[in-house]
Amino acid sequence: MTGLITKDFLVMRKMLRSYLLVIVVYTILAYLDFFDYSFIITFVQVALSVLPISAFAYDEQSKWDRYAMSLPLGRSRVVGARYLFVLLLTLFTVAFGLAGTALLYLAHQADFLEMFVILMVSSAIGLLIPTILLPLSYKLGAERARPYLYAIIFIPVIAVVLLAKAGVLDMSMLKGMDLLAPTALAGRAVLLPLAGLVGLFISYLISCWVAAGKEY
Amino acid sequence: MKNCIQIRGLCKSYGDFSLKNIDLALPGGSILGLIGENGAGKTTTIKCILNLIHRDAGEITVLGYDNVREERLAKQDIGLVLDECFFPAALRPLDVGKTLAPAYREWDQKLFRDYLGKFGLPEKKLIKEFSRGMKMKLSLSAALAHHPKLLILDEATAGLDPVVRDEILDEFLGFIGDEDHAILMSSHITSDLEKVADYIAYIHQGQVVLSAAKDAILDSYGRVGCTAAQLENIDPRDVLHTRKGAFGCEALVADRVAFSRKYPMLLVERTTLEDIMLFVGKGETK
Repeated sequence: MTGLITKDFLVMRKMLRSYLLVIVVYTILAYLDFFDYSFIITFVQVALSVLPISAFAYDEQSKWDRYAMSLPLGRSRVVGARYLFVLLLTLFTVAFGLAGTALLYLAHQADFLEMFVILMVSSAIGLLIPTILLPLSYKLGAERARPYLYAIIFIPVIAVVLLAKAGVLDMSMLKGMDLLAPTALAGRAVLLPLAGLVGLFISYLISCWVAAGKEY
Repeated sequence: MKNCIQIRGLCKSYGDFSLKNIDLALPGGSILGLIGENGAGKTTTIKCILNLIHRDAGEITVLGYDNVREERLAKQDIGLVLDECFFPAALRPLDVGKTLAPAYREWDQKLFRDYLGKFGLPEKKLIKEFSRGMKMKLSLSAALAHHPKLLILDEATAGLDPVVRDEILDEFLGFIGDEDHAILMSSHITSDLEKVADYIAYIHQGQVVLSAAKDAILDSYGRVGCTAAQLENIDPRDVLHTRKGAFGCEALVADRVAFSRKYPMLLVERTTLEDIMLFVGKGETK
């Protein structure tokens, strides 16, 4: 299983290097007060969450799936390797995010809590995307699953905006969050990626079920 | 001698195509050549062995293990070379080693690098820059690097030049030197199988129509060249398939010697696997 995770990192090494460069450059720019660090963390987290889908596309291109399923691992481990790849990417981004947040807090007395909450929210989003897309990719293949990515990102945003405009959704409830104690807010924010992990585990079980029934 | 692969009553239906009651055995220390036209069921049979597709009926044991219930144990000792190189183009040969090493108990990184060196494959060159021959050699290096007992090769020599093919066939012959080793090799290149195979199984329209020792087939089967009038006079029970052309007729016979004795006026020649395939694939039954 570790071999398959290594393979995903090796196949994606170019892309990962460029993301790493983006994080480093923007951390420096944020340090110099040219850029909002929380924005770049969110961007990188969401961008990385799409990487497993790209890994699927590369696998399809070389028909790697058939070979991987021929290895003495079993289907659930092959699927598990892809999910661990997602988890590791999320962990790396959170680690970088926390390191950058700490750096900016120490250097600029930046609002640590706000950045932490944004980091937790972006991590949850970063987990949500593969949670939905990986089972779809196992079922439909990367290319046919890709349109669902746009649906996952855009449909909720459009729905919220439309519902808010129509007065169905009361956006003022978000202002209520300001009334929460900072520690309570941080505590609730931590629940988001935890919920994301639970969702990812359920998604893994669904993907295993899809892969078990699939013919390669 | 223990069978490395034993298939009994294998059935798999896709609606428009089906494998029907495939029975095959691959004894240790031998090479079984799987021949047949495109779409005859060779790759489907191999996929069933590897549990890549779900069979409808039958049972398969690989190296003594049930290929479904004991899949992981069975696959530990299988080396696989398929008709294409399935390694992602962005990897390098050494990356392939890093990817496969944790999957196999017996992975031998030194042996893998030895094969890379033996086949002249640059360790750090991207696979996308490899020729087809290089990719197949890489697949073979990866297949052999964990000391497998069974090699499964699906059209592994297709599209390779004669020099590379010969090099790879030599490797197979070396591998088979060990009595515990065996090779299942599907190929359209029947001359390759005539060179290395011990047994031949011919799959035609999802059924095994011929399965015997290669030498027995080549020593026994014969091709009769005759006129249409002569063909009419041959007892239908004495020929398997016939072909009628503009310049004469041909017939495939199962027992060359017996046929010559019964029809001394007709010339019977030795036949090749390709001839047999053409007779079965394009010929008629009398």
